[in-house]
Amino acid sequence: MSIDETTQRGTGLSRKGLDSGTVGLLGAVVIGVSCVAPAYTLTAALGPTVAEVGVNLPAIFLVGFIPMLLVALGYRELNSAMPDSGTSFTWATRAFGPWVGWMGGWGLIAATVIVLSNLAAVAVDFFYLMLSQILDDPSIAALTLDLPVNIATTLVFIALACYVSYRGMEATKTVQYVLVTFQLVVLAWFAIAAFVHVANGTAFDATSISAEWFNPFAVGSFSAFAAGVSLSIFIYWGWDVTLTMNEETTNPKKTPGRAGALTVVVIVVIYLTVAIATLSFAGVGDGELGAGNPDNQESIFATLAGPVMGPFAILMSMAVLSSSAASLQSTFVSPARTLLAMGHYKALPKGFGRISPAHKSPSYATVAAAVAAAGFYVFTRLVSENALWDTITALGLMICFYYGITALACVWYFRAQAFSSARNVLFRFLAPLLGGVILLVMFVKTAVDSMDPAYGSGSELFGVGMVFILGIGVILLGAVLMLVWSRINPAFFRQEVLVQGTAAREE
Amino acid sequence: MRYIVGYTADERGHDAVCLAVALARRQDADLDLVLVTPEHSVYAGTYPPDQGFDTLLSEQMREWMDQGLALVPDDVTARGVVIRAESNAEGLIRAAEDTEASLIVIGASSRGLAARFSVGNVARGLLHAAPVPVALAPRGYRRTEPATRLTCAVGRRAGADDVISVAVSSAERRGLPLRLVSLVALDAGQPDAGGAEDEANRRLAEAASSLAAGGRVSVETAHGSSIEEAVEAMAWDEGEVLLVGSSRLAQHMRLFLGSTANKILRTLTIPMVVVPRTYATPGTTSGPGTLSTEADA
Repeated sequence: MSIDETTQRGTGLSRKGLDSGTVGLLGAVVIGVSCVAPAYTLTAALGPTVAEVGVNLPAIFLVGFIPMLLVALGYRELNSAMPDSGTSFTWATRAFGPWVGWMGGWGLIAATVIVLSNLAAVAVDFFYLMLSQILDDPSIAALTLDLPVNIATTLVFIALACYVSYRGMEATKTVQYVLVTFQLVVLAWFAIAAFVHVANGTAFDATSISAEWFNPFAVGSFSAFAAGVSLSIFIYWGWDVTLTMNEETTNPKKTPGRAGALTVVVIVVIYLTVAIATLSFAGVGDGELGAGNPDNQESIFATLAGPVMGPFAILMSMAVLSSSAASLQSTFVSPARTLLAMGHYKALPKGFGRISPAHKSPSYATVAAAVAAAGFYVFTRLVSENALWDTITALGLMICFYYGITALACVWYFRAQAFSSARNVLFRFLAPLLGGVILLVMFVKTAVDSMDPAYGSGSELFGVGMVFILGIGVILLGAVLMLVWSRINPAFFRQEVLVQGTAAREE
Repeated sequence: MRYIVGYTADERGHDAVCLAVALARRQDADLDLVLVTPEHSVYAGTYPPDQGFDTLLSEQMREWMDQGLALVPDDVTARGVVIRAESNAEGLIRAAEDTEASLIVIGASSRGLAARFSVGNVARGLLHAAPVPVALAPRGYRRTEPATRLTCAVGRRAGADDVISVAVSSAERRGLPLRLVSLVALDAGQPDAGGAEDEANRRLAEAASSLAAGGRVSVETAHGSSIEEAVEAMAWDEGEVLLVGSSRLAQHMRLFLGSTANKILRTLTIPMVVVPRTYATPGTTSGPGTLSTEADA
């Protein structure tokens, strides 16, 4: 057998047709906004955040961005120094060794699996709501409250998204532009319609806007503040995708930074507008439409879109459904790839490292992520009275956990070069250190508070708060699995595969 | 001469490599084992972002390519090529165009139900768009010895001449006996309604007589209540390769599988080569009796 070595080894990977240099500023902002999925995020997080901080919602949305920004800066440094499919897993392993690294990877996987189950559930809610609006039959919207129907439909959504992801199908440029524009238009419509109601005196509980809403120090307690910030971390989750883009952009030096900044402006403006509009229209009371009513907090737009937008409420259903369904599909890629990397580095059984020969996507890992998301959803739905609310709170907790570890991994990995330039002091030391510490403090505070059975939606298991069970329970489950696997195959934990290290000192 | 082999690191890819080896032997053809890697859209919105999956994937590709090249025996020259494309079919067509290859070889089986030759997605994509002949390996194909006989299925419609001329030149070049077959589906209880058989025989006789005197050409007509039965009723050699033409619905120089060819494909368990309509290697003309055509199959 003769082999053409040059083709097989040398220039084997043809880069022809790669999307390099094709994404301009607008495109990058669209990608950023699509990863944040504002319509989904707002409906899922607005209620639980109001429950914690009341009218200070706008203040928390503003403050919550700060730790996110600080951590994202560190994330970008790690991503350019060690581009790797494992992200948090690989970086934390390189910085802190196999044990912390494994848990960092577990945190990332758990966060994405939890968000998958929540995305599917929100999609199902709005799927039935939209059907009932189309057919003008309110009883269809109530189907989502029927436990067996709800669970079955959610599992179908998860299975579909898993299949699409396994087949390697992806959203195209046109699809993303349409989805993002549609979401922003509908959210703006909602806000304007709410203000019109307030002006006409037809609002449910017209509440006048006050400067106090923007004052983070007016939040009653540190507990409420910590809970609010960890929820805000979730609402900005996805924004930092633009910072990690490089050769895809038309101007790698400037586009990612500008796009990141512009995305934040778009997101913050839309969040604040919708938050203020919701508070002005509905108030924070626990009346029928009040944002403080626990029944409304699970999915705020499901309750408010009808009274605010009238017959056009169906547009909101479509926006939330498309936004959550698109995110459901694209989010599948992430835990699958982290599982794949962990399988590859022997931190998990070999099967997880398998790539489908036909579709060139993680095969086993994608299915595993779907099974985990489905299992998590069924468990939460059966045990919790208010599954979506508790999942979102637990998700905030999980993001704080893995983001905190990642940020500190950045500080520790780059410690030798931290002070070699002003840029390094800022991006490789100060920003990630501050961000990481803030997130871990929020994590610990929220975790301790959530042990109280009254925390979150008020569901409990054996006298312990549901949020604690979901959040800390999942982390502990990871620790147990890690110990079991380290007994079965200790290669990874003996650093035979990935070795702890630091970035070399810069001369 | 170069053949493009649509390689995947599974049974289907193995089928394709075996068939490519069988066809390349005695033809002195070089094989390009082509692995198509998906082109990831930056707009996919993958989050949290990572740039490392490509590294793991190309590592895996290299391993797969080594396995694929190891399937090729020493007397056949082969190299590995990785191409980035949106779909497998698109990647293989581009590889064929880039290297001016004369044939694309793929494994046609899908993991579908019982049918041994049910067409997979890649095959379907290729059969609708390939500018060169496409050879389909049936599931579980492991024979690597050269072909022993060519059979050319002749339709009754215009355009059959092209595939016949390709078959003749190919059989001549390989020194293989050629069998021209007309498949006739008769409705049960209505023997030869409309003179279908007469028509088929006349067509074959014409074709055979238009061929040069040299060469071993036989003519057969196969009957059955359906095309599937007609195919099954015939005797097939183990080393047989079947040539069929593309549908007349196809654009000029493009493949499109007609319904008859599709039926044959589902019934048959020998390799099949589908020839695009009016296909001929540049510089030659096609038509009945154009024995100079160098179209390869």
